[in-house]
Amino acid sequence: MKWLSVLGIILIALLITLYEWPKLKKNQKKEKKAFVVLMLTSVTLSISILYFPDMPGPTELIDKIFKPFGKLLSTK
Amino acid sequence: MHLLRTNILLRTILICLLLLVLNGCWDRVEINDLAIVMGIGLDKTEEGDIELSVQIANPKAMAGSGSSGGQSSGNPIVVETVTGRTIFDARSKLQESLSRQLFEGHNRVIFISKALAEEGIQKHIDFFARFPSPRLRANIFIVDSKVIDILKVPSDFELNSSEVARELAKLKIGMNITTKDLLEQLANESSSIALPSITVEDKPVGTKGLRVNGSAIIKENKMVGEIDNALSRGVLWLRDEIKLSSVTLEPENTEGYISFKLLRSSTDLSPTIKNGKWKMVVNITTEDDVVENETNLDVLDPKITDKLEKQLEQKVTERIQKTLDYVQKEIGADVFGFGEAFYRKFPKQWNKEKDMWAEKFPELEVEINCKAYIRRPGRSNIPQGTQKEEGVKK
Amino acid sequence: MLEKGKISALQMTVLLYPTITATAILVLPATTGNFAKQDMWLSPIWASIFGYLSVFIAYLLHHYYPQKTLIQFSEKIVGVIPGKLISFGFLFFLLHTNGLNLRDYGEFVIGNFLPKTPMIVIILSMAFVCAITVYGGLEVMARASQFFFPVFVVLFLFIIILLVPVLNPENIFPILGEGLTPSLKGALIPSQWFNEFILISFFLPYLNRNGKGLKWGIIAVTLVMITLVISNLFSLLLFGDLTPFFTYPFMDAARYISIADFLQHVESIIMALWVTGMFIKISVFYYAVVIGVAQWLDLTNYRPIVFPIGFLLVVVSIWSTPSLQKLIDFSGTTWPFYAFLFQMLIPISLLFIAIIRKKRSK
Repeated sequence: MKWLSVLGIILIALLITLYEWPKLKKNQKKEKKAFVVLMLTSVTLSISILYFPDMPGPTELIDKIFKPFGKLLSTK
Repeated sequence: MHLLRTNILLRTILICLLLLVLNGCWDRVEINDLAIVMGIGLDKTEEGDIELSVQIANPKAMAGSGSSGGQSSGNPIVVETVTGRTIFDARSKLQESLSRQLFEGHNRVIFISKALAEEGIQKHIDFFARFPSPRLRANIFIVDSKVIDILKVPSDFELNSSEVARELAKLKIGMNITTKDLLEQLANESSSIALPSITVEDKPVGTKGLRVNGSAIIKENKMVGEIDNALSRGVLWLRDEIKLSSVTLEPENTEGYISFKLLRSSTDLSPTIKNGKWKMVVNITTEDDVVENETNLDVLDPKITDKLEKQLEQKVTERIQKTLDYVQKEIGADVFGFGEAFYRKFPKQWNKEKDMWAEKFPELEVEINCKAYIRRPGRSNIPQGTQKEEGVKK
Repeated sequence: MLEKGKISALQMTVLLYPTITATAILVLPATTGNFAKQDMWLSPIWASIFGYLSVFIAYLLHHYYPQKTLIQFSEKIVGVIPGKLISFGFLFFLLHTNGLNLRDYGEFVIGNFLPKTPMIVIILSMAFVCAITVYGGLEVMARASQFFFPVFVVLFLFIIILLVPVLNPENIFPILGEGLTPSLKGALIPSQWFNEFILISFFLPYLNRNGKGLKWGIIAVTLVMITLVISNLFSLLLFGDLTPFFTYPFMDAARYISIADFLQHVESIIMALWVTGMFIKISVFYYAVVIGVAQWLDLTNYRPIVFPIGFLLVVVSIWSTPSLQKLIDFSGTTWPFYAFLFQMLIPISLLFIAIIRKKRSK
């Protein structure tokens, strides 16, 4: 069933692009770049989460950095 | 032009997509797919498993009695029993045999059998505070017989026996404890709790009914003792929860009794610590009305009412002392909230000595100061039916 | 200017109030109760100091660099490359925190009302609504919030009034029984929620009349503090020592309401409260991220990146935590320090550097 979810993700991405792309003017190069980069990151990330749901995320990263402080507040 | 058209197309697609969510979410449940639980009973099997009994409202019977003028089609309640390791385990097994989904959102009463309570009740209450549908307002009762018998009792006035039990608790004849209150007391290591105890009684006409039958004392999560209705009243007095009470006196120098009805009463616990000696002063103020006078006393006479007030005070103090003698001295269960009162007033000393509370509590000195006021003589002044000149004693 | 809309100071307040209150109202009694016990109602008061501080810092920075948001003036203050780095960190923090907010929202709805509905459906629909709002721009968002704010307040008061008969006033004693420490400890986590007021930096440049920003910012903090004190106090008076044992104490308090056997089962009101509040909260964070990214990349229009960022937001919210337990643990231990770094330390250092720079240039 995972391919269905992938299809869903691509469909959403497609819909957003279809809605947004025609609105971008020719000289808005930066906007186009930003749009493409953000879209690609989101799509790749979501598909990878779908296949590797336990992939360490931003929370784990932050947790690693702030661990020594976090222990101060831990009630356990 | 082309641009515009794609936009319209896209918008149409989006609107159509919205239709998908219109039919509600995955959790849509129709009311006629629900088995509405009105009462839950917990009992213990011989193997140590939990026996879960549920009282389910039967909508068919309810609807029938309403529309066709008293001709009811079947019992208004359905009682089911099943055993399991945990409550939810039993519940899942029960669900296998039911055509409707069990729903505890309207459950208002939890009956716990004595056998189960004697082993500890905390672990069984967890379910009712964790599972989404049950409410913390459900009343809790201890039952000394089989729980299922209580659930099966037909009711005369209410829809079912659970409702009867709840109304009885609401009248404050005995304790009125909700799941929340129980959890609160269980979380508090120093205090114990008195749960109302309910029993099935045979009625003279051959049917059965429910009766509040004192309270069960839960100490450190286990049921340790039982007290009768009179002693439960004492607990209610001390907890400042008394609402309904009647006191009957036998005045001196005359024959017969006078009955008083409680109007309002307030109890104030004021703990003191003097030179390391802990003491609890209980100040009770109560207002009563005369409701029946068998004697030939003139209750209009202030002198006589003064005397009666004294006697009333004595009587109330006596009752409370009796409760203290048993619950405090013998069982050693702090169902009155004395520990809490000390904690609220002397937090520092309390934290130092709270581990000693269990030993300290039975020896705690309690002083009861009761002040009674008789405000009104009732609808009559002198005893009805006596002649004014001769009968009245001044 | 990226944002052409203008809002009034009052609109700014109604945007900020639900931003802080929405999550806090439900969870705060449990988090503070853990540390402060019967003094938990004092904790929001201590915590609000950080709220005032945040508003003040943002206001001073705004004073030095009017018409600029935090993302823009950080470049001016510490130079382009360090400024960009700081901004990136700040944006990452906002996006991540908003992902957690979105997840929080989903967890509550699923945990209490719709246990079988997939998380993605709930999160996606909320993100979609927020995306439309943010797409509409600041003015649209402010008006939406102006519309929902009274609803939020009225529903809150409704619950509060209905709770009065079942309260036990004795639960409040002893006040300060163990000194100030427990209530101060309880204030640590909510202090970072109050620090979210640094988001005011994204609104101050767009106020239609400049002078009122500080005043209304302070009013917003005060309102939030009062609300949180009330919600903490009422949970305490109802549940006493039991409060920290619940995941959402205020929710359970609402479920306890029963007036005359008739007016009961009002927890759907809490749901309505939560949805309206969270809608504004997520939108405000979302808006800050979008406008921040647009300024960070020097874009001429922020609208093209609204939907992609919304997509990313949903991904982050799904990715950020596997369960509510981890989420609560994270927001109770690591998050306060993480938030403190971005919401307090960085703005305050920027302010000091800005002050020193101004003095030197004179």
